[in-house]
Amino acid sequence: MKKFLYLILVVFFAVSCEKNIELDLPDVAGAVVVDGYVENGIPPYILLSKSEPYFDPIGQSSLNNLPLRGALVYLSNGTDTVLLTEIDTVINGVQTGGFYVALDSNTFLPTMVGEPGTTYSLRILTPEGAEVSATALLPPPVPLDSTWYLKQEELDSLGWGWARLSDPDTLGNNYRLFAKRLHRDPYFLAPFGSAFEDKFINGESFNFAFSRGSLLNSSAEEDNSIEAGFFKRGDTIVVKFCAVDRATFEFWRDAENQLGSNGSPFAVPSNIKSNIKGGRGLFATYTATFDTIIAN
Amino acid sequence: MKKISGLVVLLTLLSAGLFAQGGAQEDKVTISGFVRDSSSGEALIGAAVYVKELQKGTSANAYGFYSLTLARGTYNLVIHFVGYREKVLNLKLDVSKSLDFQLSSTVIETREVTVTAERKDRNVESAELGRVELELEKIKSLPALLGEVDLLKTIQLLPGVQDAGEGNSGFYVRGGGPDQNLVLLDEGVVYNASHLFGFFSVFNPDAVKNITLTKGGMPAQYGGRLSSVLDISMKDGHQKEYHAEGGIGYIASRLTLEGPIVKDKSSFIVSGRRTFVDLFLREPFVPASSPIVGNSYYFFDLNAKVNYTLSSRDRLYLSGYFGRDVFNFRSRETGFSVRIPWGNATTSLRWNHLFNEKLFMNTSLIFSDYNFEFGAQQQQFDFRIFSGIRDYNAKVDLNWFPTILHNVKFGANYIYHRFTPTNAYARSGDVVFDLGDVTRYYAHDAAAYINDEWDISEKFRLSGGLRATYFAHVGPFDRYVEDPAFAGRFIDTLSYAKGEKVADYFNLEPRLSMRYELNSTSSVKAAYTQNYQYIHIASFGSVSLPTDVWVPSTDKIQPQFAVQYALGYFRNFSDNMYETSVEVYCKEMENQIDYEEGATPDQDVRNNPDNNFVFGRGWSYGAEFFIKKSRGKLNGWLGYTLSYTNRNFPDLNLGRTFPAKYDRRHDVSLVMVYDRSRKWTFGLTWVYATGDALTLPAERYFMSAGPPVNVQPNGELGLSNNFYILSGYDQRNGFRQKAYHRLDLSATLRPTRSRDKKFKGEWVFSVYNFYGRQNPYFIYFDVEGNSQEGNQRVQAKQVSLFSIIPSVTYNFKF
Repeated sequence: MKKFLYLILVVFFAVSCEKNIELDLPDVAGAVVVDGYVENGIPPYILLSKSEPYFDPIGQSSLNNLPLRGALVYLSNGTDTVLLTEIDTVINGVQTGGFYVALDSNTFLPTMVGEPGTTYSLRILTPEGAEVSATALLPPPVPLDSTWYLKQEELDSLGWGWARLSDPDTLGNNYRLFAKRLHRDPYFLAPFGSAFEDKFINGESFNFAFSRGSLLNSSAEEDNSIEAGFFKRGDTIVVKFCAVDRATFEFWRDAENQLGSNGSPFAVPSNIKSNIKGGRGLFATYTATFDTIIAN
Repeated sequence: MKKISGLVVLLTLLSAGLFAQGGAQEDKVTISGFVRDSSSGEALIGAAVYVKELQKGTSANAYGFYSLTLARGTYNLVIHFVGYREKVLNLKLDVSKSLDFQLSSTVIETREVTVTAERKDRNVESAELGRVELELEKIKSLPALLGEVDLLKTIQLLPGVQDAGEGNSGFYVRGGGPDQNLVLLDEGVVYNASHLFGFFSVFNPDAVKNITLTKGGMPAQYGGRLSSVLDISMKDGHQKEYHAEGGIGYIASRLTLEGPIVKDKSSFIVSGRRTFVDLFLREPFVPASSPIVGNSYYFFDLNAKVNYTLSSRDRLYLSGYFGRDVFNFRSRETGFSVRIPWGNATTSLRWNHLFNEKLFMNTSLIFSDYNFEFGAQQQQFDFRIFSGIRDYNAKVDLNWFPTILHNVKFGANYIYHRFTPTNAYARSGDVVFDLGDVTRYYAHDAAAYINDEWDISEKFRLSGGLRATYFAHVGPFDRYVEDPAFAGRFIDTLSYAKGEKVADYFNLEPRLSMRYELNSTSSVKAAYTQNYQYIHIASFGSVSLPTDVWVPSTDKIQPQFAVQYALGYFRNFSDNMYETSVEVYCKEMENQIDYEEGATPDQDVRNNPDNNFVFGRGWSYGAEFFIKKSRGKLNGWLGYTLSYTNRNFPDLNLGRTFPAKYDRRHDVSLVMVYDRSRKWTFGLTWVYATGDALTLPAERYFMSAGPPVNVQPNGELGLSNNFYILSGYDQRNGFRQKAYHRLDLSATLRPTRSRDKKFKGEWVFSVYNFYGRQNPYFIYFDVEGNSQEGNQRVQAKQVSLFSIIPSVTYNFKF
């Protein structure tokens, strides 16, 4: 919408100017932020952190203060409850904390793995005595029927990823799609609009296109040129298609809205819908199935 | 019933007043007729017809009709209208007679009004509070953004009226939302009065005769909105000669043709306006290979009106408006294209009938339509959204002048509404997605009213009325019953057959205003009004957009309700050269509507929009100061408004009270026009306003963009550092933009032409934002610096829209 507005303004007025301003906002911070994952076949894990004042500088010291260490994180699948183990991790070469995983603290063997069809309950007690909880269902898998690559007319070697999905008859399926180019992307990346629901496609079989996601604030040539968003002839694309919980869909729909409408004079800013009681963030569930496309 | 207490007293008073003088009728005579412009034959709406000896009079109605019933005798009758030469007649009245008056305009000659008779000014004399009439000639000589004269932007310069942001023609009246203004063009409702996302209003000034804004003390003949009525009358067309008028501007060009069809009996006017920037975004101006080709934007307005005088007692008017905005966008690389057309259409057929010299009737049949469409295509994917509203309206209004002490208006109104809230269609290849049947709402909207303006004594005038309203939401309609545990999933559908009642409402709306004259130059006035509003806009955005959809009151949406109290002191100085007033008001609004927090437009599709609404209340209070100099070489006004507007919704902002976006503590407007000579006129406007309230993030948090631990098919494990910075919000509208202020200047040059007097040309030079103030338009955030160096931070950036913008417009008339 912002681009749209700019276009109008440029066409009509060819003017608009911009300057840095300082805002005096009240400091609100310290909320418990849950970034939790239950995936099929692997041990569930939770990243815990705290929110910060919006305009505080972001740097090593702030990143060091971010993780919420020493919390008690309990995860239940309805029959068993396990205490997750806090494990030191390295992000950007920095020792960090706040990473809790369902591994035995001595043997490092999984104490629980994600099983589709199971509802998981999360209960967190912070060292400060706050209690945070969430519940989510790991849905049954819905694999794609097929995947392929189609080049964009007019553009020689660039194109989109395509997939065919048969949505199950019952309403209430939600999805999120990731893709990764082998030997080129370090991780699975979500394209914009990665999360969708079956409200309008319930029970349908249909084809859809997806673009290539990029790393945040990527400075790579391919993300800042005409190639941005396109796959290219020769790519080997691994598609990770996930059936997700309703809350996961809603969180990412809202998050993409929030990121996309930053500053838009037309948008009403609002909080992202969250399934966390007593905090911010998301206790997400992903039941993944994989496909591979060779683009040619 | 509490809401209508005092009503019985009021009605008793009115009927006692009306019928008390029945016996003395034989000694009285009535003069009646029309007040018109001497050259064009246009009716002069609101012209004063005044008996000097009695210090009493009346004013011409919307069709120029007046009626005065007086005791037999000899009187000096004064006929007065701003911008026209005053007429004084010595009349011996012994029998009732019909008498039409023709006033000649002073604008053409000296641009100087001479006062020839003592007369109480309407400002002091009327019982109306919060009502303003604007003179079109004056508006045209004020500075305008890009030279495009805009009636709604001039309205914003009045106290109690706020603009909706930089360059925006939307307006808010006394703390009311944009959907609470009734905008009428020749009685047809204009549902979205702006072009280009609000930058320009749809009213072509060349086709407009008169504008009246009622912001408080709304008389009973108006209803259906809580906050204001903006009543715009189109010109009827010159009765005697053919004329053309037009202009060439930076944004749009205009052309108006008018003239008689049958001289003095029937006339027409046709007026068009169109932007032309799109005509240059194609060959031969731009090569066909340019990426710009395929992108265009334009808007146009077309106004047309004809009238026919059937007899001295009957006249027919047929008027219409049609306007569209069309935006096209095409990206060749991605094969993505968008087309967005939207606009209004109104048609009204009106019949004026004079039953006798005291009873005037107007009957109208009106059609109004607004629709919006958004269409996008990419690859095999095809997507369309559409919404709109359509009204069929029949209306009869009677105006009865039983004695000089009374002016009675009564009538009835029926509207059949058809609402089309956001509906969508989507297709990928051959598969059409199931977006549900087109959802529509149908409603009956009926009203009857009576209002009397009664001079109880020399000093005391009462304008009291009652409006009775009935509204019914009827089938066909499907109510989707949502699963309380799962937003977006439905557990039941309640179906209503065609014409079946879904919900209905009946309400009484008492309206009362009064004036007490302290002396011939000052008065105090008070008003109390109750209004119901049965149709609503809930907006996803923070400003009015063409995507806004209207919805009726339903089983879920209760009618909006407002009570307004207003008190004013009015005083004129220097022989009515200066009009001043102070008004204080307090307005409470119930059943205000908003979308629930974080709602997105797709939630409306295959659902009832009102399933996503939340309800609350709003209140506003304030004081308005106004000084106007209406005559002399230098004229204009200064207005200042102090106001507070708050809202409280149990489901928004955690139930805490928050300021409305348009809560504006201080608002100042200075408007000056200096008629230096016949050749030059200068205009100046200066505005100052407290910054808008807006919501800014209070905290930030990090979330991984996807599972950070990636298990790939080959069992390889990876951990990502791909994190989003997300925003957390606390207080809704808890932050203030910087104050807004701006100075605009204009100069109008009329080159003198001695030979061909018929042709008149003028150049209007305008400078918008003369001192280049960088007013805030919006704020966005950017991440700057480097996290490794520890100096990365979120930087707020303020974007300003318009710097100094000069423009030139050429207008002509012949």
